[in-house]
Amino acid sequence: MSALLQKRAAPYVFVLPFFLVFAAFGAYPLAYALRLSFTKWTGAGEARWIGLDNYTYLLTSPEFWASLGNSSIMWLLVVPIQLVAGLGAAVLLSNAKLRLRGLFRVAFIAPFVTPLVAMAQVWIVVFDRDYGLVNHALNLIGLPDVGWLTSTAWSKPTLALLFLWKTTGFAIIILLAGLQSVPTHVYEAADLDGASRWRQFWSMTVPLMRRSLSFLLVIQTLAVFQMFAEPFVVTQGGPYGSTTTAGLYLYDHITASDLGTGAANSFLLVILVFALSLISVRFLRARDE
Amino acid sequence: MNDKRPGIPTYALLAVLAVLFLYPIWWAISSSIKPAAEIISDPLSFNPLDATLDGYRAMFADVPIGTGFANTALVLVVKGAMTLFFCPLAGYAFAKYRFAGKNVLFGIVLLTLMLPTLVLIIPLLLEMSALGWVNTYKALILPGSIDAFSIFWMRQVIAAIPDELLDAGRVDGASEFGLFRRIVVPVIRPGLAGLAVLTMMNIYNDFVWPVVAVNDEKHQTLQVVLSTLAQNITGNRIGADFATVWSELLAASSIAMIPLLLVFIFLQRHFINGILAGSVKG
Repeated sequence: MSALLQKRAAPYVFVLPFFLVFAAFGAYPLAYALRLSFTKWTGAGEARWIGLDNYTYLLTSPEFWASLGNSSIMWLLVVPIQLVAGLGAAVLLSNAKLRLRGLFRVAFIAPFVTPLVAMAQVWIVVFDRDYGLVNHALNLIGLPDVGWLTSTAWSKPTLALLFLWKTTGFAIIILLAGLQSVPTHVYEAADLDGASRWRQFWSMTVPLMRRSLSFLLVIQTLAVFQMFAEPFVVTQGGPYGSTTTAGLYLYDHITASDLGTGAANSFLLVILVFALSLISVRFLRARDE
Repeated sequence: MNDKRPGIPTYALLAVLAVLFLYPIWWAISSSIKPAAEIISDPLSFNPLDATLDGYRAMFADVPIGTGFANTALVLVVKGAMTLFFCPLAGYAFAKYRFAGKNVLFGIVLLTLMLPTLVLIIPLLLEMSALGWVNTYKALILPGSIDAFSIFWMRQVIAAIPDELLDAGRVDGASEFGLFRRIVVPVIRPGLAGLAVLTMMNIYNDFVWPVVAVNDEKHQTLQVVLSTLAQNITGNRIGADFATVWSELLAASSIAMIPLLLVFIFLQRHFINGILAGSVKG
């Protein structure tokens, strides 16, 4: 084969494996799911074409909206706290004169490295109502037991805490890298102008960090709306459906063998997730002008 | 910020945070070597002199955790090798070649980046059962084995290599694949290390797809084995042996987290590079 021909063909050969895998396990199932979402099928026998019925069923189903509601509450419990606390910790860590920075950084990312399923199980034990560590500690200081995983009021915050514990280190690392790319002369100029630290933080650090913050906002919004393993392992969606997130509700269609509805639910979720990402990106772009 | 020496409040705050982050891990591992009864009667205590491996012994007898580790190792090696070979190769094509359709093809890569995993779960499961692949290693390994994110990342890394270096290789008569193997791979070694560590973490911790694709004990990955354990426990609260069950659960959870924590401690820099590379796409 001539060198020129080889150079022409090479890039196609190099990208081919990805597109083969994508065609077989990405594009094909996606197209199949789209068709499936317009049918009624239980996994056996003939699929029956029912048009938009799955979509109208879901959009009028209280359970579907409840799952989105649960995910929205999770979002409120997780994302604002994570962005604010993460930025605070990153600012403290970015101080060039801070000692033991490496050690702090290791401590903060360690949870991100642990397997979610393993830690979800530890959560079951730690937050157990009768024998758990947390209630034991509360009793020691004279407070009563709390049904962390058995009451509808506390089940969401307890799962949100698992998510926060596990991923805030990730946010800190991203924000720390963002902070370190802010040029120091900007602050020197502000110091000369006599701007206070607090003022500097709000009028300089936060705007300059918009890129890192928007990245985290999008990534964590997607993650919260797809949250699955936490409720699947810790609460199985209970008590009384209070932790049935959008991701877990989708899975319930598989166990119920209601695959057409499941496929429709998937697409509604994709549309939602895309819309949410677009809105966050827009929101941050608009303020960039 | 142009920095003042941090005061005691800064250190105190960071130390409190660090303890909050590390305590659950420490509690799980230390409790896994406590006498079972004490996990319940005195969860806050830890006496190294009373340390025991009873929980681990019972766990190994009751739980197919060895099978879980073996399956995870197999998936890790094969899937990891595919990612580490094919993703830089595709990234190289997108970074260093001009070819018809390149923008469209790269656009597809970018679109798949935004595709939520959950959407594919149901259709993929149906595809697996149509192919007769449910409960096979193929089902665990092939879907997602060459992922868009790694291609995107490797493209960024390879784009930084000067074209002159590749042209010099061509003059020396290297084949196109030879350029990749002899010039690109050695230059991007740090990026590859980051990719390797992050890929390893993702495959090791992957749960959603394995729990759907596999339901027989023989093919369960480590995370799936762990999750069945939790369900047995929450499903069966009344029993004299509550403490023993918890002890086994903590032993299984600890043993599952220790390998990754060790890799993390020794390869910290690559881990952090890997995490940061992920933020480039933002």
